[in-house]
Order: sequence, then structure tokens, then C-alpha cells
Amino acid sequence: MNNDDELIICRCNEVTKKDIVDAIKDGADSITGIKRRTKAGMGLCQGKTCSRLVARIIAEETGKKLQDIAQPTARPPVRPVKLETIADENVAES
Amino acid sequence: MVDEKADIAVIGAGPAGLSAAIEAAKTGAKVVVYDENLKPGGQLFKQTHKFFGSNEHLAGVRGFNIGKLLLEDASSTNVKIKLDTIVTGMYKPTTLELVSKGKKWKCEAQAIIVATGAIENSLAFPGWTMPGVMGAGAAQTMININRVLPGKRILMVGSGNVGLIVSYQLKQAGAKVVAIIEAANKIGGYGVHSAKVMRAGIPIYLSTTIKEANGDPEVQEATIAKVDQKFKYIEGTEQSLDVDTICIAVGLSPMTELLNMMDIVVTWDNSLGGHIPLHDEDMMTSRPGIYVAGDVSGIEEASSAIEEGRLAGVAAAHKIGFINADKAEISKYQIRKRLDALRSGPFGEIRKAAKRDLIQLYKKMDYQNEAIQVQAAVVSIAGKTIENEVHLRGYPTIEEIKLSGNISSEERFKKGPVAIIECVQEIPCNPCEKICPFGAIEIGTPITNLPLLDAEKCHGCGLCIPGCPGQAVFVVDFSKEVEYATVKIPWEFLPVPQKGDIVAAVDRKGKAIGEAVVSNVKYLPEYDKTRVVELKVPRNIALDVRSMERGVKCE
Repeated sequence: MNNDDELIICRCNEVTKKDIVDAIKDGADSITGIKRRTKAGMGLCQGKTCSRLVARIIAEETGKKLQDIAQPTARPPVRPVKLETIADENVAES
Repeated sequence: MVDEKADIAVIGAGPAGLSAAIEAAKTGAKVVVYDENLKPGGQLFKQTHKFFGSNEHLAGVRGFNIGKLLLEDASSTNVKIKLDTIVTGMYKPTTLELVSKGKKWKCEAQAIIVATGAIENSLAFPGWTMPGVMGAGAAQTMININRVLPGKRILMVGSGNVGLIVSYQLKQAGAKVVAIIEAANKIGGYGVHSAKVMRAGIPIYLSTTIKEANGDPEVQEATIAKVDQKFKYIEGTEQSLDVDTICIAVGLSPMTELLNMMDIVVTWDNSLGGHIPLHDEDMMTSRPGIYVAGDVSGIEEASSAIEEGRLAGVAAAHKIGFINADKAEISKYQIRKRLDALRSGPFGEIRKAAKRDLIQLYKKMDYQNEAIQVQAAVVSIAGKTIENEVHLRGYPTIEEIKLSGNISSEERFKKGPVAIIECVQEIPCNPCEKICPFGAIEIGTPITNLPLLDAEKCHGCGLCIPGCPGQAVFVVDFSKEVEYATVKIPWEFLPVPQKGDIVAAVDRKGKAIGEAVVSNVKYLPEYDKTRVVELKVPRNIALDVRSMERGVKCE
């Protein structure tokens, strides 16, 4: 593998550097924007591994400073939770 | 759904969270700590090295023993620790959503202290998703908690304190660390750590990074290359290393997701790990009642995490009415003083300035940034400054040690054994001063002062050898024999050498420079696992021998 484009950035969803660069060309300039277009950061780890890498690619491609690239939106649950945990609760409440 | 109420809820049972909980519980507040792990202590229980600082910071005590002390305090102050419990969400004003063993519930607290710590940064290079590439922290967990060796031949990427310490511990665990590489043009961590790994035979390559990892299906080889000042590969400098494991130690990022859910104001500081929550001098975030402590509020180390936790614990307990303002102010003053001591010296000043800027930003005051001159290479000793290049070389030269005043005169050497202190960078640490029974070592205040040895008072007893958390003290004796001298060194590798062993005498660079006979191995319980090994070596190399190696012949 000598092509940098094939480099996997989001390992949960197997999103490559090319996917991310293409998304930036498509107008994405935030981690959330990349996430919506490519699913980078939407896997099991919820971007814990890749969001800093994605931020760095945005900085390289757009010239933005790292501090100006906002952190991705955080929503509960911040850790993987089994659906049955949530489902059980709904049964109890209904 | 089980609902829980607490005066103060703490997220994370690491050094910051436990310390916060203990201080808050001491005031009578009902405190509960949640942690997703099966055991409390965060990363403390895998820290097998002796910590820096002064007595009040428990300097010289190994990290996992500090963890044990914190757990004892938590238990005696009735802190409730709930393990295997994930905080999945945080809601305004101060409610937590939790999941444990398939059950979901909410906790309402009057104040919340977020001490969620940090996550290791990753590095993307061709092959980085293969088995065999892991965070240095993960490797440290494997060797020190699970007692599993991640590999036999290791490449460490990053020369900060994590990279240096974990390399040393991997060697202790029986792995061969083939190299430590660093993209910057200087070593990131403390000189005493780099000196320790270098004399253990681990080379450090600066301005070097990893280009790719190869192997199928797991790592069998790493290609490293030199980089220019803009961190671009220099063509033709590629070198391939036979390794089965690549450890990544390229910094940490604060784990702020829960805080981000609360619309907390964040700021950016590169030296503190990137995006961090803005907090005031009481560790309170922009949302009243929500506090932060430890790495989540800016990457530092365990000792300062403990102090920040205490600060947040006292402040939160005061905020909700468990102690009066006078009492709170006294405790906070003392804690801040200890924090300042930890954040001094050329390494700490950067963090101190960053934290001060952050607090000033919080106050939204007109604030003039007085530029703090931080020069890692220039340190002061008793008002003087000495220049050294430890950050470029990894260890101090005899000339640099002489400049620090800690090598004795020829005449003193003739009289009998005497210590040589090879500590030339200002780091916040002073156990050697307290441990010397003859008062021969002076540090004073601030604790970042370099130690100064009074050779006339030194008896060469060597108590300072295991007493130095940085393993930077040696005792040399030229007085016993005409052709030989003895060098006492700190030793923490297995198997323990035996008296009479013939070994290679190794210099500061890790190079075998002669033959040595182990003439004594001294151990007392207060040495806390560090052996003092006495090597008999030819006189002419005694000032250079700083370690030993088995199964190696001198060239």
C-alpha cells in the first residue's frame, strides 16, 4: 500500500483518507460535516480514535487551525449500550 | 429505573476523581464515584515507577502504591465507589444517566465533578490498523496489569514521558525495545527518564517518524524515516526495523464528551492536549455546579491530577454548603501552593502559564499575557544557569554534570566513596534532600532547584541511589584499590545480579565499554524494589560506567 489515499482513518467504519478529502472538497469543513458525509466517527468507538485524525486532515486540506475545528457534537450514550437496556426501560414505562 | 441521589457525584475513579471524592466526603457530603472499569484507580495501578515531587506529593512512592493509599482514604471517608458503571449522558443542571449490568438509571446530585481522564492519540500510517500496533498505554496495561507481553521486539513512537517510561517498563517485562523515535528535534520527556532508557541500551532517534508498518496478518517490520523541520519525510533516509509491535505514544486528548453535552465553554491549548473545558481557579466549568479535575481539564500527570481533584472536591463541597468559606479558602490555598510546586521548572512552567491563561480567560478580565520565557535547555542553580543538551542527546555529559557542581574533586575521590548526582534539568522533585542522613544534599525551595551535593558531608552510603525517583544518583569509590574503582548503580531488572557475576560495564549511552564484576548487591525493604548494584571496574572508566548488561561482550 503506497497510496496515502487508501489509508484508513476511521477503522470502525473503514473510511479512507480519500473519502475524507473528497468530503472536504464537497464542502465539509468540520468533524461533524465529515461524519455526516462519510460515517467517520459513527462506529463503535464514536470517533474516539479518529476524530483527532480527521481534524488534522481538515486542517491540512483547508488551512484552518486545529483550535478552530470544533469538537464533534456529543450525544448520549457516550459508550456503546445494548439496545435491550433501553428497550427494557420502555417496556417498564408503558 | 433506579434513581439515586448524592450531594456530589464524581465521574471517574482515577487519581483526580478519587482525590476529589475523598476531600468532599471529609466535609460530610454524601459522595458517589462512578467508573466504567472493574477496578478503581484509573491508570495509577499500572504506574510501577517511583513518582516525582516532594514528600507532600508522596514523591519516591510507586504509582500503584499511591493508588492503594487513595483507596484506603476513600474507604475510611465513606466514599461510595460504583464500578462497572458507565455514565452515558449528562443533563442540565446536574443529572447523570447511568448504565450498569444492563440496567439504566439516573443520579441527581447537587454538584458533579468530571474526572474522565484522557484518551491516547492515534497516528495514521500505512499498516496502522494491523494487529501489533497499539497505544503505549495499552501496552503498559498489558504488561503491568495483565502481565502479558505484547511483543518481543518493540518500536516506541514518541519520546514524551509516556514513551520513555513505557519503554523502560517493557524492557523490565522482558521485551526488547529496538528504538524510540521522535518526530521533533528534541526529546519530549524528562532527561532522567531518557538517561535511564539509553543506558539500558534503548536508542532514541530524533527527527524520525514511522513511515509504514508491514506484515501479514500482523506487524513484522516497521519502516522509519527522517523528517525535515516541517515533518515531511526525507527521501532516502528510510530504514527498516525488525519489530513485532509498534507502540504509539504521541500524546493524549482530554475525554470531554460528557462535558460537551452540557454546552460548556471550551478553549484550546496545545500544551494541555487540545480542546479543554474552561475552568476557574476552583476547577469549576462555565456551568455552575459542574467541576473538572485531572487530565480532562488539561493533560498533566497523576500528581497534579490528585491536587486538582482535591481542589475541585473542596470547592464543590463549599459551593453546596458543606464547609464554610474560611475553611475552604485555607485548604484551597494549600492545595494551590502544592500545585504550583508541581508546575514549576522548564517543563511545568508551560503548563502553569497555560492554566493561568485559561483561568484568566474564565474571568474575562483584561489580561496582558506576560510572556514567560521557557527555555528547556537553560536551568538555574543557586542563581546560576547551566546549559545542557540532555534534550538532544538523552543523557548528561560529565562536563554538564560538573557544571551542576555534583562531581567531586580528585582529592575528595581519594578519601572514599562519594555520590555523583546526574540531575541537570529542573524538575519538581526533592526526595534526595530528605533521604540523606548527613544533610549532604540541598535543594531548598522551589523544589525544582537542582540538587547540590556537599561532598565533604557525603559518606557515600548510597541511600540516595534508590531514593531518587529518576535513578540519577550513583556512588563512586576510588579509595579501595589501586587499579580498580567501584560504581554503585540503581537496578530494577530481573534476574537480580549476584555477587561475583561477570558482566559488561555499560556507559550512559548504553554502550559496553569494559568488563565489570558485581562486587555487591544491596537491598533493604525501604529501597522499594530498587537494588543497589556495586560494580568493580577499571579506574579509568569508573566515571563513565552507569549500567551493566549481561550476555554482551565489550567491542
